[in-house]
Amino acid sequence: MAVIEVAGLTYTYPGSSAPALKDLTFQVEAGQLVAVVGANGAGKSTLCLALAGLIPALFHGQMRGTVSVCGLDTSQHAPGQFAGRVGLVLQNPANQISGMRYTVYEEVAFGLENLGVPRAVMPGRIEHALDQVGLAELHDRSPYTLSGGQQQRMALASILVLEPAVLLLDEPTAMLDPAGSQAVFEIIHALVRTGTTVVIVEHRLEWIGRYADRVLALAEGEVVLDGTPADVLSSPLLRQIGVGWLRYTRAAHLGQKRGLWPDTQALPVTLEQAVTGFQQAGARPPTEEQLDADPR
Amino acid sequence: MIRYSLYVPGDTWLHRLHPLTKLSFSLAAAVIIFGGPGGWLAALLPGLLALLALWRAGLFRQAARTGVRLLAPVTVMLFLIHGFFSPQNQTTLLRLGPFAIGQEGVAYAGLIAVRLAAVLAGSLLLVFSTHPGELVQALTNAGVPHGLSYLLGSPLLLLPQMAGRVQVIQAAQQARGLETGGTLPRRVRALFPLVAPLVFSALLDVEERSLALEVRGFSAPGPRTSLREQPDTPGQRVARRALFVLAGLLLAAGVALRVYGRH
Repeated sequence: MAVIEVAGLTYTYPGSSAPALKDLTFQVEAGQLVAVVGANGAGKSTLCLALAGLIPALFHGQMRGTVSVCGLDTSQHAPGQFAGRVGLVLQNPANQISGMRYTVYEEVAFGLENLGVPRAVMPGRIEHALDQVGLAELHDRSPYTLSGGQQQRMALASILVLEPAVLLLDEPTAMLDPAGSQAVFEIIHALVRTGTTVVIVEHRLEWIGRYADRVLALAEGEVVLDGTPADVLSSPLLRQIGVGWLRYTRAAHLGQKRGLWPDTQALPVTLEQAVTGFQQAGARPPTEEQLDADPR
Repeated sequence: MIRYSLYVPGDTWLHRLHPLTKLSFSLAAAVIIFGGPGGWLAALLPGLLALLALWRAGLFRQAARTGVRLLAPVTVMLFLIHGFFSPQNQTTLLRLGPFAIGQEGVAYAGLIAVRLAAVLAGSLLLVFSTHPGELVQALTNAGVPHGLSYLLGSPLLLLPQMAGRVQVIQAAQQARGLETGGTLPRRVRALFPLVAPLVFSALLDVEERSLALEVRGFSAPGPRTSLREQPDTPGQRVARRALFVLAGLLLAAGVALRVYGRH
């Protein structure tokens, strides 16, 4: 069952002549983890805002086509009606602190209060959300005393506590270290397993290759690639639109030219695939110097 | 830990009072101080009450420190301007060369300074013992539209974020050679490179901040709930009404005295 349905979506911001999104049409099935990749300005964040029901309601630009999320048409419903059904985590954690509450625990409760969730239900949901993101021990700290990475995890908890059916994440790991990024992707993966639909904008392709079910590549507001991580992340078009390839994919591509990677074998998009592939070919992967000689 | 907010966490009797009770006192005090009859008495009584409350709650020292920092420059200017240049000056207190300090101007400056101090004491009583979020919640629960409550509380709510941003901008500008310390002219010169990015970046953040609030149901339809109960008592509800009635009566008396007192 499609939980997100986008049909002919074209959107132009007020005061802009060029559309940020051009004739997008796709559906997302419930329980899928869909990654959106693209160069800066490709329209990824705009797509998130459209899926969250914030465009067109709050931006007043020109929109054509339809976007339906959880059965609600975004042009027919106010943003407040999507809260709870659709969650959105933005890039900058500092701007996601409401400032309305004194502790992390209370900050996470803010959305529940807005949605009228009974007080008796709140503690269980808050504690579960804080556990999920690993912030349980910091529950009584002021949100302003947390590090950037901790604030981002708190922002994620503030949305997870609402138990949305669709979770939209706009570069949620931008301020996290590798361990923090892995923790976030593990949380996302667990959510997907329980039926949550996740759309994530992410530049770190290694996580996408490992966890995503499907990848959409955007360029200048258009979907130029749509498929499995194996297909999209190894497509030559991805390099042309400025996203580039993973080092493993580049290594195998270079290996192909030198006879170290079989032409018949798909290029790897995870470290495991690369190691297995090179082992099977009986070759050692190219050195760092060789990779650096071919920076693309 | 850096404390950006004026709120002092605690569990004193003042902290436990309902935010609207403290807000009512602050507002009533301001009305009585500036609008009530009696000049000095109208200014002194609410101010002393506020200071007494702050002292009983163990917040007097912080309040005094903040008050002196805020009021000292204003008070000095008031005494200088009114003491030397007030048109009401008739009795000379002190002569300094060609200039004379007038008693009437000094008395008027004193009254204004006491009024400002009293209003500030009433305000500090509220902001020192009430987290801005609690105040917003209390206003919303009292029927004030949620957006309006947030707007009213936002100067206090956004203070920590602005303070953090000031530090970042200051560090960035200092790294590029801007001197922010030293003499007064140098500090004034350094102000623009600090204020301009602060204002522009705050404006740019407004959009993302409002989006973040929206996705957490800020404008969601239906009734709201709250994690923490805000205890209220019949006594406090009566006190709030009594404060507004008292302020209204004293304001009316003050206005009447000013209007009819001239005739």
